[in-house]
Amino acid sequence: MTTHISPQMASSGTQHGKFEPYVNNGGTTLAIPGKDFVIAAGDTRLSTGYSIHTRQSSKVFQLTDKCVIVTAGMQSDASTLHKTMHARLVHYEHAHGKQMSTEAIGQMLSNMLYGRRFFPYYTFNLVAGIDSKGQGVVYGYDAIGSYQSVEVGAMGTGQSLIQPLLDNQVAYKNHQLVPSKELDLERALSLVKDSFTSAGERDIYTGDSVEIAIITQEGIKYETLQLKQD
Amino acid sequence: MSNLNEENYEEERGGFVFDNVTRNMFMETKGYQAPIAMKTGTTIAGVIFKGGVVLGADTRATNGPIVADKNCSKIHFIAPNVYCCGAGTAADTENSTALISSKLALHRYSTGRQTRVVTAMTLLKRMLFKYQGHVSAALVLGGVDLDGSHLYTIYPHGSTDKLPFVTMGSGSLAAMAIFEERFKDDMSEEEAKSLVHAGISAGIFNDLGSGSNVDLCVIRKDSVEYLRGYDQPNERNYRTSYVIPRGTTATLSSTEEVLSKQLIINELDDRMEVAP
Amino acid sequence: MFLMRSEYDRGVNTFSPEGRLFQVEYAIEAIKLGSTAVGIQSRDGVVLAVEKRLTSVLLEPSSIEKIMEIDTHIGCAMSGLTADARTMIEHARVETQNYTFTYNEPMLVESCTQSICDLALRFGESDKEERGMSRPFGVALLVAGIDEYGPALYHTDPSGTFVRYEAKAIGAGSEGAQTTLQEEYHKSMSLQEAEVLSLQILKAVMEEKINSTNVEIASITVANPKFRVYNKEEVQAIIDQLKA
Repeated sequence: MTTHISPQMASSGTQHGKFEPYVNNGGTTLAIPGKDFVIAAGDTRLSTGYSIHTRQSSKVFQLTDKCVIVTAGMQSDASTLHKTMHARLVHYEHAHGKQMSTEAIGQMLSNMLYGRRFFPYYTFNLVAGIDSKGQGVVYGYDAIGSYQSVEVGAMGTGQSLIQPLLDNQVAYKNHQLVPSKELDLERALSLVKDSFTSAGERDIYTGDSVEIAIITQEGIKYETLQLKQD
Repeated sequence: MSNLNEENYEEERGGFVFDNVTRNMFMETKGYQAPIAMKTGTTIAGVIFKGGVVLGADTRATNGPIVADKNCSKIHFIAPNVYCCGAGTAADTENSTALISSKLALHRYSTGRQTRVVTAMTLLKRMLFKYQGHVSAALVLGGVDLDGSHLYTIYPHGSTDKLPFVTMGSGSLAAMAIFEERFKDDMSEEEAKSLVHAGISAGIFNDLGSGSNVDLCVIRKDSVEYLRGYDQPNERNYRTSYVIPRGTTATLSSTEEVLSKQLIINELDDRMEVAP
Repeated sequence: MFLMRSEYDRGVNTFSPEGRLFQVEYAIEAIKLGSTAVGIQSRDGVVLAVEKRLTSVLLEPSSIEKIMEIDTHIGCAMSGLTADARTMIEHARVETQNYTFTYNEPMLVESCTQSICDLALRFGESDKEERGMSRPFGVALLVAGIDEYGPALYHTDPSGTFVRYEAKAIGAGSEGAQTTLQEEYHKSMSLQEAEVLSLQILKAVMEEKINSTNVEIASITVANPKFRVYNKEEVQAIIDQLKA
């Protein structure tokens, strides 16, 4: 209806597009470690602004038989990071004759991210795996490689909705009575599913479906839960 | 200095107060950011059919990336024979439609005639033009009057269109894609409802600013059917129960008082009993 | 051997018509001039022992260092041109540190040995910017360590070949020493038995009479996986257990 002409366009002849290398593709990721299992999950919506690019873009990437990474942020950086990590893992296996341990992957990713300190990958990662003691472990990262082992991790556009709930229900933050029964796989899985359905209700960037990786000593199983499509 | 003190508070006569505009503009140059309003990133639409007009809207209201209201109502009453869908800043659409609705009610009292759609359109566009786009209301206005069925779009700066099928809001492209494909002149009511439903659905599923349910409003020559929650395709499908035992929440301190000591209890007389 | 000499023994990157690299073979020969070193892998650890040739009474024995630590969990003994070994060990130290920095865990003994051999094999390489190595290293190493798979002992030679051994001797007395190892070694050997056996062998092959200053001994155990060179008292305690 309106023909909008910006003052710059009208006055000056040439203009330079500003270099904007980053875009947020939305989406939420989550990981919960248990005594002998770990769950990692990510929704499958890929979007920018008000547009959905696809409803089936995976945020979960399997690194070894007992370790996955889930990445929120910018899809192209995530994909490049996953591919580079995969190359490093394959090379490591050839050089050292074994799969990289989850702890080693944790440190390696930190170095890879910090290496890009001044032009970072726009990614927010959770590495979930079984450690060398057979226990579930989740490492949470910032974009430039600071990392730590976490009791529960959520990243992406739904982080602010999910993290407080999980801090309370998994890490029992602000609880005066801490249940003696430790978190089992069934409860963790139902918390993951509820977290994503809740995030899907209120975060416009979270939806379509959730891909859930359940990692135990026996291997990795995948489950998918449909979310709202709106 | 604000003149909005205790004494003249009651004397406010309506209209906007511009007292702090200069101050706020100055504060913004110092880095202060004004609070953001709730936007209805929206899909609204309307179609003219053989016997009247069908209006449609989604029901999502957003605040940035967060859904502020999952089932808000975006089809507003203007007059018994005129309704208006609103997109943009929620407060602006709600208040501008309500204001014009009031003016039209008064107009009907003085003239004793049915409101004409063009009158509603003119009042709305004049108001929006006056505020030079600062009142962020993008509207789809539809109704039936003595001249027949009318459907308008009104933009925030005050321009208008009169068309047989229209869409507005962030989901307007998704809805218009459907309308361009399927609209025909002189459709039946059912065809028109199905088309608007499909257009709004396209917005709900393909535009992140739109979501939840489809509301419809059918305006015929002598009747109106407001179909709130015409379709509800986005019901929650999973829920976990949370058991939080008493005593879980930490308290800093606690005091106890026996209330019975402060109560005066009047025993009821036995004679009041009716049943044996 | 002497009769076979021809133009082909000059360059390190030229095979003889018989398919041999003479310079590499000569380098391996150089090790046979070196002092004897013995390594024994036992059930609960690995022992390394070397002979020190004290050619003068004025020589300070502690300045001869033939057993060195690579990382906390890996060490090595050398025989041959020990100056070359320093280059290799420096390389191995960087590699193990780099591994720990990258993966936050100790490097495998095999991977460490592999990286040493990668360096050993770089003779003959050269490019415009950097001058390559002019000759092969003239040293053999016994790399001992403990990793997630347990104790390990490797032998490397100037050709860049590495082989895992349960017990291995290198240097001038290696032939006799290896024969004794074959006779005396058994899989269920304790670390203490390995310590005594290693010095027993050195005693037999050394020209000088063994004492606490002319041998060096080091070990790493599963119980305490830190590579450690023994002090004089500890060496003497083992010597005291030797058969006459």
